Amino acid sequence: MFYATSKEHEELRAKVREWVEKEIKPIAFMLDKNNEFPREQIKAFGKMGLLGIPYPKEYGGLGKDIISYAIAVEELSRVDGGTGVILSAHVSLGTYPIFAFGTEEQKKKYLVPLAKGEKLGAFGLTEPNAGSDAGGTETTAELVGDHYILNGEKIFITNGGEADTYVVFAVTTPGIGTRGISAFIVEKGWEGFTIGDHYDKLGIRSSATAQLLFNDVKVPKENLLGKEGQGFKIAMNTLDGGRIGIAAQALGIAQGAYEAAVEYAKDREQFNAPIAQLQAIQFKIAEMATKIRAARFLVYSAAELKEHHEPYGMEAAMAKKYASDICLEVVNDALQIFGGNGYLKGMEVERFYRDAKICTIYEGTNEIQNVVIASHILGKAAKATAAPAKGKKKGPITGSRKKMILKDGSAKERVQTLVEALKADGHDFTVGIDINTPIIEAERVVSAGRGIGSKENMKLVTDLAAAAGAAIGSSRPVAEQLQYLPLNRYVGMSGQKFTGNLYIACGISGAGQHLKGIKDAATIVAINSNANAPIFKNADYGIVGDVNEILPLLTKALDTGAKKPAPPMVKMKKAVVDEPKPAPVGRYVCLGCGYEYIPELGDEEGDVRPGTSYKELPEDWICPDCGEEKANFIPSSNEK
Amino acid sequence: MSCVRKVTEDLYWVGVNEKRLHLFENIHPIPRGVSYNSYLLLDEKTVLFDTVDWAGCREFLNNVKEVLNGRPLDYLVVNHMEPDHAASMEEVLLRYPECKVISNEKAFMFMHQFGFHVEDRKEEVKEGDTKTFGKHTVTFVAAPMVHWPEAMVTFDTTNGVLFSADAFGSFGSLDGKLFADEVNFDRDWIDDARRYFCNIVGKYGPFVQLLLKKAGTVPIKMFCPLHGPVWRNDLGYYLDKHDKWSRYEPEEKGVLVLYASMYGNTEAAAQELASKICDKGVTNVAMYDVSNTHVSYLVAEAFKYSHIVLASVTYNLGIYPVMYDFLHHLKALNFQKRTFGIIENGTWAIKSGTLMKEYIEEELKECTVLGAQVSVNSSADETNAPEFEALADAIVQSVQKLEL
Repeated sequence: MFYATSKEHEELRAKVREWVEKEIKPIAFMLDKNNEFPREQIKAFGKMGLLGIPYPKEYGGLGKDIISYAIAVEELSRVDGGTGVILSAHVSLGTYPIFAFGTEEQKKKYLVPLAKGEKLGAFGLTEPNAGSDAGGTETTAELVGDHYILNGEKIFITNGGEADTYVVFAVTTPGIGTRGISAFIVEKGWEGFTIGDHYDKLGIRSSATAQLLFNDVKVPKENLLGKEGQGFKIAMNTLDGGRIGIAAQALGIAQGAYEAAVEYAKDREQFNAPIAQLQAIQFKIAEMATKIRAARFLVYSAAELKEHHEPYGMEAAMAKKYASDICLEVVNDALQIFGGNGYLKGMEVERFYRDAKICTIYEGTNEIQNVVIASHILGKAAKATAAPAKGKKKGPITGSRKKMILKDGSAKERVQTLVEALKADGHDFTVGIDINTPIIEAERVVSAGRGIGSKENMKLVTDLAAAAGAAIGSSRPVAEQLQYLPLNRYVGMSGQKFTGNLYIACGISGAGQHLKGIKDAATIVAINSNANAPIFKNADYGIVGDVNEILPLLTKALDTGAKKPAPPMVKMKKAVVDEPKPAPVGRYVCLGCGYEYIPELGDEEGDVRPGTSYKELPEDWICPDCGEEKANFIPSSNEK
Repeated sequence: MSCVRKVTEDLYWVGVNEKRLHLFENIHPIPRGVSYNSYLLLDEKTVLFDTVDWAGCREFLNNVKEVLNGRPLDYLVVNHMEPDHAASMEEVLLRYPECKVISNEKAFMFMHQFGFHVEDRKEEVKEGDTKTFGKHTVTFVAAPMVHWPEAMVTFDTTNGVLFSADAFGSFGSLDGKLFADEVNFDRDWIDDARRYFCNIVGKYGPFVQLLLKKAGTVPIKMFCPLHGPVWRNDLGYYLDKHDKWSRYEPEEKGVLVLYASMYGNTEAAAQELASKICDKGVTNVAMYDVSNTHVSYLVAEAFKYSHIVLASVTYNLGIYPVMYDFLHHLKALNFQKRTFGIIENGTWAIKSGTLMKEYIEEELKECTVLGAQVSVNSSADETNAPEFEALADAIVQSVQKLEL
């Protein structure tokens, strides 16, 4: 047995290397600095057929093997880790589920343009409450007629916003955990599907990572991927393969850093000789090379197993874990060899150092890789420790709110309605506080988000704050990136928390971390041009409209001339909002003793996993309390 | 000496009244006493339907003897094995050696456990079986978990009498009256009937619903329960109450205010809220001190009203124990579908409100806690005024928009 790649593999490597050195290398620093996606370059890369490397020619792919794909990711990452993951997310995550689980029609419609590189793919699984634990998925898809109605939020989505085709996971049967999740193909631009925040990342900054927002998105029934309830299986299966891509990315980053360090060590002279002659440096280089070689064999071997349809889940996890772990060590040593020079912006090793870290985190943290590896060796984790599926759906982050969204009437009428409602709630606008009152002490805050636009528009916000007798605040990006306000005035989980009586959010879309900072506000008012912005689901009152139009009107309506100083704040509680808790579903009670079977909990003693419906219980299952047979249960709902 | 009443042709009430017992099931106070009902059918065969608690055995045996008037007892039908009805069966079997026992498999198993020996004289029946005693033919209908698993009811197809076991019962001794139409039930009895149902059978709503469905298929003319009056008129009134209770739907739009107060400050807050609620137009308000009202009354009132306000001090960083006990009873009884308002009090670390809210949201099905809440720091003062206002408004709005 000869552990080597074929001539064909090496020809592909040379082709990709030539392209990336020419097209990406010169702009890599700029992409990194500007958080910029190499849109034109990726289009050209697709035209060369390289976005469809491992897919059959009949579907528009190159028809090459998995190692070829791994080599391509490795070579892109060797120059720029961000570009590497664009390919990996497209091939392994966005395209693979359609290739592996799609119908012939779905493949023709979606796989072909993806493989040909005409379209870019992405994969939407992660949510604020569903990271490593997909059972926490809260995005829902409800079948209404011949459409599913998709609602929810996905975060940290690679290629988000840049991709045309998204494989999205959503709950179709609530209350039964991962078995209730299904996969859907969703197209960019469908009504209600918007791209939320683009994240400002530590590394891989040339790749796009964004939040996906689904607001009553109509997904045709035929875009269900696989069957209802197969989503979790599809996701896990996809991630198994995706790990080869991430392993290859880590390998490429390590390779790039290693090569740069070797070059530098030969060039840099100290004590009248290249530092490469120093044993301290030699040992580092020897260690780096050894680790990279070991990682490469793990990556290629996992790719080879997959290519030959052998079980490869454990080996892919090992490759991902090992390659990313050693990648961190290699970039660290490489930067160390560069010394102070490596610490400067513009140096490749500085970028590699930042790019590397993500590889131990995404597509399953390395801790999760260990769980995967151990489960292959030792079997699934004991059922006793399995977390119960989440039965209760969480509501908006800010709790129950009135959600009175004013859409009708002229802008002036809407503003008038809002002001009357606020006064009726007990807000007295004849008194006010200083605009610079610290957020945590403020009774009222008027806050600006990115929707405010240019810096001149901040005048609108300060005018409104003065008229409303409020202090001024902002969202994080407004303080951190746009720098319209000092950092101590941004509101959010990581910033200042507002617990006063009135919060007026102007042009703030409502990221989770922002909403957590205002969850104890008595009244939340949202003004935003995007009716689908999450802030509206978390507000008591909302006006959908342009800040340029609404803020001056509101300022005028609230302006009572000079404000009297406000008396000490009396904290108002959040107003009523009755939202009856939904009736539990799928519960059955025992005719022999009254025991209630709760699917979310399963029956630990009876070896029934959480999330098992009554129907799925084995026929020989008996009541854990009295031993009655399964047949002697009745539904516990009390409907007439 | 005996105390007997004729129920209808061929059928006699031979039960007893219990007025000396303080606690029913040794837990629920019964200041109005309770009756243990037993019924005797005189047909070609003589048939006794259930017996009574051991405490009333002697008087009961006299009643049976008088009605039999020298005839042998042919059958004892045991619908329910709980000792307040079955404890005297051993004595009946000793005195009437020819008597056979008709019951179901589970009930026979329970008899064995209680030490009643019926091996050579039992006739086992199951759901849907019929038995003819002469003119009268009865059908046996299983009523599992109302509120024991062996429970069954027996329907006399000849005259429409349903021997309903513990279903449709009530606390309260009969004291001569026998029929619900001989008392002012809706004035004098309904509270005890509700308290009996909610505390004894409350947990088993789905099973009561199952029984009500079965009952809907046969022409019932009379309920003969094992406690409380016999129903021969206006059965719909009583059925409707049971339907509501077993679906955990409130009977009335109104507010139950329960407070746990150590020195009167929380009580004062509860009073302040109650006056505000009444002021705003919702006057169907009832208030209890959880520390001096037995929890069975609190539970029954909770089943009655649509809205509940809990006012509790913080005690050992938790909910006041008596209030916690009440919440725990609600959970144990499968209590559902209510809207709660909360007043919390504390002098250094106010926690009871958050904890009560959590308990209600986590442990009680389909219950909602209003967003408005009153937080009292030791004693309510003017800074709490907006909170009282907001909570009262929230409750009144919620009551008014509710449709029953």
